[in-house]
Amino acid sequence: MFQGKRSVLSLAVFLLGIFSGSLHAALMIKVVGSTTVLPVVAEAAKQYRLMHPELRLTVSGGGSGVGVASIERGSVDIGMVSRPLSRFEIERLGNTIEVIAVARDAVAIAVSKAVFESGVQRLSLAQIAAVYRGEIRNWRELGGMDAAILVIDKEASRGTRHVFASVVLGNARARAPGATIITGSNNEEQAVISQSDQAIGMLSNAWLNDRVRAIAVGEGEAALLPTAENVAQGRYLIQRDLNILVPKNSSAAVMDFVGFLRSEKGQSIAEMVGFHPVR
Amino acid sequence: MTIVLVLGFLLYSSWPLIAQQGVAFIVGSEWYPFESLFGMLPALVGTLWAVALALMIALPCGVAAAILSAELLPARLRNPLRFSMELMAGVPSVVYGLLGIWVLLPLLESQLNLLTGRTLLAAGLLLALMILPTIMVLAEDALRGVRQSQREAAKNLGLGWNATLCRVLLPQAWPGIRVATLLASGRAMGETVAVMLVVGSIDRIPEPFYNFLQPAQTLTSRIGREMAEASVGSQHWAALLFCGLLLAVIAIVVSLAAHRKASVVV
Repeated sequence: MFQGKRSVLSLAVFLLGIFSGSLHAALMIKVVGSTTVLPVVAEAAKQYRLMHPELRLTVSGGGSGVGVASIERGSVDIGMVSRPLSRFEIERLGNTIEVIAVARDAVAIAVSKAVFESGVQRLSLAQIAAVYRGEIRNWRELGGMDAAILVIDKEASRGTRHVFASVVLGNARARAPGATIITGSNNEEQAVISQSDQAIGMLSNAWLNDRVRAIAVGEGEAALLPTAENVAQGRYLIQRDLNILVPKNSSAAVMDFVGFLRSEKGQSIAEMVGFHPVR
Repeated sequence: MTIVLVLGFLLYSSWPLIAQQGVAFIVGSEWYPFESLFGMLPALVGTLWAVALALMIALPCGVAAAILSAELLPARLRNPLRFSMELMAGVPSVVYGLLGIWVLLPLLESQLNLLTGRTLLAAGLLLALMILPTIMVLAEDALRGVRQSQREAAKNLGLGWNATLCRVLLPQAWPGIRVATLLASGRAMGETVAVMLVVGSIDRIPEPFYNFLQPAQTLTSRIGREMAEASVGSQHWAALLFCGLLLAVIAIVVSLAAHRKASVVV
C-alpha cells in the first residue's frame, strides 16, 4: 500500500516534469505532409538547426493530403504538398494560408530494370493512359518482353498521383481500373518497383536508381527523360512545384525557416537531394 | 459499458454518411471517396478472407504444437517451446510486416509465379504467424487443464493414445481452444500495419471471389491508409469510421455466437 502510494507520487512528479519541461522547452516547429517534399525540408531542417540550436524541428511524412488536412486542423506549423492546391482547397484555405514553392520536381514514369532493358524506354501519354485504364496488360504490346504489367497506382490523396493523373488521365481524381496494387509513400513504391521485374509506377525524380529506371515520355522522337535540363526548361510533360503551406499569421521563427528554404543555401539543398531549384 | 460507448461513438461519427446514403453502401463494390462511392464489400470480403486463411493455417498448427508441448514433450523441452511462443506473441506487428515484405513476398512471387506477392494469401500467412502463439499457448493451457484422473481413466479403459487424444483430451479442452480461436480471430481481424504492407490495398473483390492469389483490401488497411488524409467530419471520415463500426460489429457477433454455443455445451 505504502509502496503503491510512493510510486503514484513519483509518477506524478515525473509527469509534472514532462509537462513543465515542455512549457520551458525551446520553440518547436512541426512540419508534416508529402513524402516527396520531405527530403528537402528534412535536410534543410538539419542544417538550419546547426545555426539555431535552440529550435526544435520535427519533419514527418504522410502524403500531400495529410499535409493539407493537418494545416487545416491547425495541428502543424508547416504543411508539405507536392502538387498545386485544388480549386476546392484554395476556396477553403486561400485566405489564411500561403502556398510557397521550395523546389521543382518531375514525376517520372518509372519501370523495373528488366522492363527497361527489354526495350521499353519511351512511352507516349496515350500508351501510359492505356496501361492505367487496363487496355494494355502485357509489356509485349509496348515493345518489351512477353510479361504481364504490374501496374502500381498510388493512394488517392498523394500529390504525385494528382499530378500524374491530371496530365496522363485528364483528371486529378481519375480512376485507374488497370491498377494491380496501391502504394503510399515514394519509398514504398520504389521498393515494389525494385523488387519486381514487371512493374510500372509514378515516382518522384529523386527516388530513381539503377533498379528503378525512368523512361522517356512523349510522342516518338519528342519523348523526353526527366533530366535537370528538360525540367528546368519546362519541356518534360509531367512536372510540378513542391510546395509548403504556411499560415499567414505564422511566427517569426517559422517565417525565418521558410526564408531559409527559399534562400540560395536552401535551394542548393533541394538540388543536392535530387530536385531542381525554383529560381 | 465500454463497448456500448465505443459502438455509440462509432455510430455517431459515421452517422453523416448513413443519414445521406442509407446503408446500401455496405454491399456496394466501388470505393471512390471523391465520387462519394463508399462500397464496403471489397474490404469486407478481403477482411473475411484474410482471417479465414489465417485460421485455416494457424489453428491446426497451433493445436498440434499445443498437443506436442502439453502431452509429449518432457518439461525440459516444453519450457523453451512455450517461452519462444510467448516471445513470438510479443513481437511488434510492424516487424512481421517488414519480414513479410522482404522475405515472404519475393518467395511467393518466385514460387507461385505471381505478378505480385501482395495478395490475400500473403496477408493470411502473415496473420497466421501472428496468431499462432495465441492459439498455441491458450490451447496448451486448456489441454493441461484436463484433470489427470481423466487421463488415468482413459488408460484404465485400455484406450490408445490416439483415442485418448481424440475422445478425451481434445473434447475436454475444446472450450479453451474455442476461446483461443476467438481471441486469435479478433487479433487477425484488427491487425493493421502488417496487413497494410502486404495485401496490395486495392479496393477490388478478387476475381473470382475465392481467388486468394490476388491483391485485395481489408477494412483495417483502408483505415490505416486513409484516416490521416480525411478531413474530420467529412463523408470520407464518416465512411472510415463506419469501417471501424463494421469490424466491431463482426467481432461482437462472432463472440456472441461462440458464447451461446459454449453455454449450451457446458
